[in-house]
Amino acid sequence: MKVKVTVKLAGGLVHTLGFSERELELPAGTTVAELLDAIAIDRTRPVIVGRNGWAIDLVEEVREGDRILISPVFSGG
Amino acid sequence: MDGWTGQFLRVDLTSRTFRIETFSEEFAYTWIGGRGFAVKILYDELAPGIDPLGPDNKLVVAVGPISGIPAPNTGKTIVAAKSPATGGYGDGNLGTRVTDQLRKAGYDALIVEGRADRPTMLSIEDDRVEFLPADEVWGKGTMETNDWIYARYGKGVGVLNIGQAGENMVRFAVVRSLEGRSGGRPGMGAVMGSKLLKAIVVKGSKPIPQAFPAAMKTLGRDDLRTVHAMDKEAAWSIQGTTGVLPWCNEVAALPVHNFRGTHHPDAWKVDGERVHAARVATYGCPNCTMRCGIAIPDDEGREAEVDYENIGLLGPNLDLFDLAQVAALNYLCDDYGLDTISAGSVLGFYADAIERGAVAGDLRFGDATGFKKVLGMIARREGEIGNLLAEGTLRAARVFGHGSEDYAMQVKGLEISAYNCKFIPGMALAFGVSPIGAHHKESWIITFEVKQTTRGSYGRDKAQKIVDLQRIRGGLFESIVTCRFPWVELGWGVEHYPTYFNTITGLDWKLEDFWPISDRIYALMKLFWLREYPQTDRSADFPPAAWFDPSNVDTEGPIAGMHLDREQYDGMLQQYYDIRGYDTRGVPTRATLENLGLGAEAAAAEAYATLG
Repeated sequence: MKVKVTVKLAGGLVHTLGFSERELELPAGTTVAELLDAIAIDRTRPVIVGRNGWAIDLVEEVREGDRILISPVFSGG
Repeated sequence: MDGWTGQFLRVDLTSRTFRIETFSEEFAYTWIGGRGFAVKILYDELAPGIDPLGPDNKLVVAVGPISGIPAPNTGKTIVAAKSPATGGYGDGNLGTRVTDQLRKAGYDALIVEGRADRPTMLSIEDDRVEFLPADEVWGKGTMETNDWIYARYGKGVGVLNIGQAGENMVRFAVVRSLEGRSGGRPGMGAVMGSKLLKAIVVKGSKPIPQAFPAAMKTLGRDDLRTVHAMDKEAAWSIQGTTGVLPWCNEVAALPVHNFRGTHHPDAWKVDGERVHAARVATYGCPNCTMRCGIAIPDDEGREAEVDYENIGLLGPNLDLFDLAQVAALNYLCDDYGLDTISAGSVLGFYADAIERGAVAGDLRFGDATGFKKVLGMIARREGEIGNLLAEGTLRAARVFGHGSEDYAMQVKGLEISAYNCKFIPGMALAFGVSPIGAHHKESWIITFEVKQTTRGSYGRDKAQKIVDLQRIRGGLFESIVTCRFPWVELGWGVEHYPTYFNTITGLDWKLEDFWPISDRIYALMKLFWLREYPQTDRSADFPPAAWFDPSNVDTEGPIAGMHLDREQYDGMLQQYYDIRGYDTRGVPTRATLENLGLGAEAAAAEAYATLG
């Protein structure tokens, strides 16, 4: 059983990981933390992770159709 | 007194005289510098009720102990005065060569008084001060003015100047420097204009007094390299602040259509990736490790230096998603010397007011040509509408009527930066309690708030976090005077700053030693407000009604149907007051003032208002 999610990156992560937005097919039961590891996010740096516009705990499982936003923490100006 | 020059330069434009004054060690230790010096000087020297655009107002240009020292991002200077936008204390910071040149000239602050009898350029070279005619560039934009100054002095001097907006006393005119740097959102450019002061040029040749110059040189050099490497590793400056735009769009915090919307499907067209792809040059402030000034061509091929705030307010907030058109508005603001944030908000408010029938007009959202035209009218105060919009959203709304004040997106008369807090309670409070009006530089809690799963809460933790951030950002950084970006964007530890401070001053201060000073600075900004508005109450700390309005909610997206709750906001506001030791009006109590060493100011305040 697989679930399809869209990963959207922001800021410098686009350049360090080499993509801006990507659809991923993941095994059902994959947690957000496992998703971060799967796309090689450096978890020693603070990031903001959101699902469909809302913050999400890393232990939560991704769901079919999720839009997962991963962004560095930044200030804007 | 290592770390400070110990001198102010006081200039009177009316009498064309100047004098050099000294200040005490006690003064330095009590207020540190920058914003601390500025608020103390202005509070002590300005009579209540003076016209901020009259000769009685004073412009303070102030630096701090670590300003201009080669260390990460120390190129900032504070510009301050009674604000024409809010009527309270106003200030801003900008990157400029004035920072190190003023210190090398032998001063920690410049105080400009009076009003010149003709357009003037103030030239400061060590102890020599000249009042030079500036008629040739009066009426010119900041770009041409800057070139005119460089042609005379070369590029090594420090320059502050204004454009037509400052000359015409637009209440959100800024001070400009280094072609692309702006500061003083609450109308500091208008204060210069009111004094017929077109530009300030500073050149110094003296060493900056330091306790341990060799140690500081090594420390500063090493840390400049380290922070620069951190930036490279994080790839932060590839997009700079414009990288925040997709995040704001995804979490429904982007200002769209005068803040009525929070996200838009076309937002990607003006995001950091597009900005980076269009880049033709990159600029930074002196001693910068992570240059955020990304220049892109506008629709006429001119180089416009953009950042997130500019794009947010001059792009999506106006329903504009063509990057070159947004860049054109950005360029015009910079050349006129208008604050991009307030300008974008004023334009959006005007289009919104027309759309809602509060005022007649033909400007429509998405009309780049129309927005350019109105921007020029504002800068020149041209016609009835240009003259009115030059007053800012609050004053314009009071003339338009028809309930338009509800969607004038400002607090205390200063327009809100590019974070739409329709359902972000903590950031809304941060704007609300900023003592200079709705400026993001005081406390930027939004990422703390949105990265947690408690976005919708109104808890004490958020009120406490705002105080914590104000202490660091608005207190520490704005008094030692340095850029906050290495800390906030790259995680460069805040503990580095006392180290710089101690190495330069020879003192042995801990981080926590700065917090009472920060609190003192915030309390005095509030007393300044109280003196101008003795009848003030907590309503001054509320954001606009649109964010509480059930009829203004998003109809789709992450926060569909959601809005701020007035009662809960009020509760969180009280938490903030309780932590700060302020009364229910948001005024520091007598006990708080005395604890902060402001007993004399408290006694004086009781002549015009009661203290809790």
